[in-house]
Amino acid sequence: MLISMRWLGRHVDLTGIDPEQLALDLTLSTAEVEGVERFAPYLSDVVVGHVTERVKHPDADKLGICQVDVGTGEPLQIVCGAPNVAAGQRVAVATVGTVLPGDFKIKKSKIRGVPSVGMICSERELGLSDEHDGIWVLPGEPTVGAPVAEAIGIDDWVLEIDNKSLTHRPDLWGHRGIAREVAAILQRPLLPLETSMPDLGSEDPVSVRVESPACSRYIGLSIDGVGQGKTPDWMRALLLATDQRPIDLLVDLSNFVMGDLGQPNHIFDRDQLSSEGIVVREAREGETLVTLDEVQRNLQPSDLLICSGGEGVALAGIMGGENSKVLEGTARLLLEVACFEPVPVRRTSSRLGLRTDSSARFEKHLDPTLPLQAAGHFARLLRELQPNVSFPAQLVDVGDWSDPACEIPLNPDQVRRSLGADISDEVMTTLLTSIDFGVQPQDGGLMVRVPSNRATKDIGIEMDLVEEIGRLYRYGNIPEQHLVGALVPPPVDHRRELTESCRDLLAGGARFHETMSYSFQSDSLHQMLGLDGDSYVSVINPVAEGSARIRRTVLPSLLTLLEPNRRQREEVRLFEIGKGYRPEEGNDRGEPKEVHELGLVLCQSKIDNPSFEQGALARLMAVVKDLLGALQFPDLQFVPCEEAPVPWVHPVRRVELVVGASGKQAGTTIGFVAELDPGLAGPLGIDGELASDTAAACVSLDLLLEQEPSGTSFVPLPRYPGFKIDVAIVAPDEVPARDLALAIEKAGKGNARDLVVFDLFRGEQLGADRRSLAYHLVLQNDKKTLTDKDAQSFLRRLERGLGELGAELRS
Amino acid sequence: MDNQANLETAQARIAEAPDPAALAALERELLGKDGLLGQQLSAIPSLPPAERGPAGRAANELKTALTAGLQARAAELAQADLARDRAGVGFDATLPPPQVERGSLHPITHVTRKLVEVFTSMGYHILDGPEVELDWYNFEALNISADHPARDSQDTFYCDEKGSLVLRTHTSPVQVRAMERLTPPFRLVCPGKVFRQESTDATHEHTFHQMEGLVVGKDISVGHLVGTMKTLLRGIFGRDIDVRLRPGHFPFVEPGFELDARCVFCSDGCRVCKGTRWIELLPCGLVHPKVLQAAGIDPDEWSGFAFGLGLSRLVMLSHGIDDVRHLLGGDLRFLEQFSC
Repeated sequence: MLISMRWLGRHVDLTGIDPEQLALDLTLSTAEVEGVERFAPYLSDVVVGHVTERVKHPDADKLGICQVDVGTGEPLQIVCGAPNVAAGQRVAVATVGTVLPGDFKIKKSKIRGVPSVGMICSERELGLSDEHDGIWVLPGEPTVGAPVAEAIGIDDWVLEIDNKSLTHRPDLWGHRGIAREVAAILQRPLLPLETSMPDLGSEDPVSVRVESPACSRYIGLSIDGVGQGKTPDWMRALLLATDQRPIDLLVDLSNFVMGDLGQPNHIFDRDQLSSEGIVVREAREGETLVTLDEVQRNLQPSDLLICSGGEGVALAGIMGGENSKVLEGTARLLLEVACFEPVPVRRTSSRLGLRTDSSARFEKHLDPTLPLQAAGHFARLLRELQPNVSFPAQLVDVGDWSDPACEIPLNPDQVRRSLGADISDEVMTTLLTSIDFGVQPQDGGLMVRVPSNRATKDIGIEMDLVEEIGRLYRYGNIPEQHLVGALVPPPVDHRRELTESCRDLLAGGARFHETMSYSFQSDSLHQMLGLDGDSYVSVINPVAEGSARIRRTVLPSLLTLLEPNRRQREEVRLFEIGKGYRPEEGNDRGEPKEVHELGLVLCQSKIDNPSFEQGALARLMAVVKDLLGALQFPDLQFVPCEEAPVPWVHPVRRVELVVGASGKQAGTTIGFVAELDPGLAGPLGIDGELASDTAAACVSLDLLLEQEPSGTSFVPLPRYPGFKIDVAIVAPDEVPARDLALAIEKAGKGNARDLVVFDLFRGEQLGADRRSLAYHLVLQNDKKTLTDKDAQSFLRRLERGLGELGAELRS
Repeated sequence: MDNQANLETAQARIAEAPDPAALAALERELLGKDGLLGQQLSAIPSLPPAERGPAGRAANELKTALTAGLQARAAELAQADLARDRAGVGFDATLPPPQVERGSLHPITHVTRKLVEVFTSMGYHILDGPEVELDWYNFEALNISADHPARDSQDTFYCDEKGSLVLRTHTSPVQVRAMERLTPPFRLVCPGKVFRQESTDATHEHTFHQMEGLVVGKDISVGHLVGTMKTLLRGIFGRDIDVRLRPGHFPFVEPGFELDARCVFCSDGCRVCKGTRWIELLPCGLVHPKVLQAAGIDPDEWSGFAFGLGLSRLVMLSHGIDDVRHLLGGDLRFLEQFSC
């Protein structure tokens, strides 16, 4: 909202007040001022000129050559085409070098051969109105040579207040409200404002019937005898300063009263109203209204309509109807000043996308006592400007409203405790009184009377008064204090420990990059991955069509990152720790089940004939093995998955992650590692020149947290040396590596340790469907030094064991 | 050929041996069975007995001399080796080393950890809460009534027509959940993801990160809030940073404030602080009595303050990130810029 300092000056003396300082004061005590700007700065460059002579241009009938005194001694010769310029006028002169709105710089020129230095300005050229039929003839006799703005008293500063900081303050939506704050801050009096109703006639007033509780008060004032008239310059300047375009006297006055007191109001042409008067009712299904902006609005029963003769004439509190607007020459008027309930106004205005200065104010819950003051203010101002107007009828004032002013007991000790500041009762009283609160000592404390303009919504409890005192006392004057209390270490948070360890291990050791994704996953992604049939938490108002679903699991989010990143990088290593939501497992409070997951993807550009440890799947399995080992789950096993853990993985190249298996205990599946189904490379965009080898892993942190980590218990260092041997085994493809490892373990009789595969090889010399696996291992015993003989017998046992599997040692 | 001449020839060859391999070959040749020494030794048995003694001694002398010569040359070659290594021929200090790829942690993780470290040191619990939240916790219990503008669907993602389930619009609901569970006094912070129904551009995101803070105790005052915030800033930036409170309205606090901190990027106005030298840091306030009550805490006995730190905003400010969409975009070129 824009606040004009000159306008404020009508309510509080601002002599000697610096605009920047005032802005800071308001920011610290009342509401955030976002900007301070000089109103129409070019009006300070344009000076008052006195036209001393005007003669016709010899070569152009419509042009005049003027001699204009601008107080510099020598008069300026200015060629001017305006029909209304005449000798003796005071005019606004832009001298050479002045820049006018639209970046229009005044230069020396010749017009039809006659030199011209400067320009006599119209109102439009100064951004004051659309008036361009002639030059602006300044009223009165302002000092020649003085800047126009000062000379005619419209120089001004404009403060821009953040509307968001006013949402709870209905009283601050007009200049008088802000002035009340300024007066309190500056400790200057708020100037009185006469708003009593002028003399009213005895005609029957327009009948008004309110049929909806959404209108709590409706005042109607009949006005007659409004003649033609121009809005005075001072008022137009104030409206312009606050970004209101002056239109005509009545509209300007209506806007001025709203900007002054914060009370919206509306003027009807009484001749356009039905003889039955006004009915305020809810709209009917299918009813329409063309609003003043010439848009047809489709209404609903939740919309409040001002009606006359059965049809709508205004959308209550939002905008008038085209059918009842006041036309030029209208002399018989009805002024509506009402109080509409905030919620219906907000609902209607947001549904119709029609937010107006009026709706913005009603939404804030205006003071129901304000309409009468505003009606009086309007009537008095109008009479001042047009002494011939009359108010032929008694006021209509209907509606079911009550004065919200209330009393709240205040314990001064509570104020001191809450603010942490030693403020005396007297200071509290002074501060509250300065913003029109009433304060009386009562029962050892204070009884505070909250005025109606603050009591509609904002002030209702003692803590609200604490805020009033604190902000006027200034929070900056409160001394800082340190919290004192028992320092108890927070309880151990296993999940936090686990997630933070995962992050460190994956980013540090495994050199993965952590990402955080949106919780939304698109329907098309789910269709692509075969996840469309699952149930999802979905928002009913998504930002984009088809992206309403909240993810159940993290990995699909990561899959969408493969293609864009592969365009930039040969290899993509990403992980995310995040949440998923499963509505079908929700609780009886309606909360979906929340799961915590770690997702990893490794996507590398495809290489021909990769060695066994170069493939993405093997690499990612190694990362997961290393991670879980570091998290003290060294017993992690990769188990073939019979059933696909998710639909989008490779039908064969996938393993489950099992921890806690020992002996007959089956262990718990906590996730999987798998290659992507080859058919998804195309849909995911990682084919062709981006052809990739991609593996993904999912670890349920919830399930992992339920497992018992192994802990770290010390294993004594070996006392007898071991020796390293390598063995190569040729086996048919169908013999799983696990069986070969078991054979080695068995042959080692507890002495075969640190078994590592270091090569996998296929070749014609091995025969079809056979492979060679080469192992490093250490033969070592805790009780004796093993000899070459032990090694030989190990190999013989191994040979036999392998034979049973159809495998053999490779020489 | 006499022994002396043989020895001199052999020593000359030893001295010319170009490398350890040649020297080893020479050693085998000279000291081996068919070599100079071997020939002399093998000749001994066929000598008259009287000459065998002197011949044997001569052979020994020859062996000693050859061995010494070989060792000396070996030492020479080793020295030459070291000298060559030390010469470091071909080293170019300006040649860049091979690239070692790093991993990285998300900047939100970094800033969260930094704050968690400071808060933990001040006795705060770190709590987590659901992103899909009940209307009760997100709004109702926080004194945000059904007709409050914050509940408009242009601000809130609703998960059902009834409006009973929402994507949390702030981390404040964790406050309420915590108050239900914990017995005062306590201090806690809750970092997490929050959602606003908003179209995205460089400065607007529908998903971002916040950290809620809550302190409940006896006679907690605005003074405590200011003191805590200054301590926090000292913990983050390692120096004293001035703060100021100004009025701000949030339904779940009373009084409510906006807390500004002195701009850490300039001393006389810059782009970040828009020339004001103050940066809007966080909304905060004393916990509204109704909020304490809704969570089962007696407002006559206990009071508290709450604050909400914008983690995403903090990350953007501290790294000079110009587009908020980078944070959740998953672009490696962005992620790689942060350490692990």
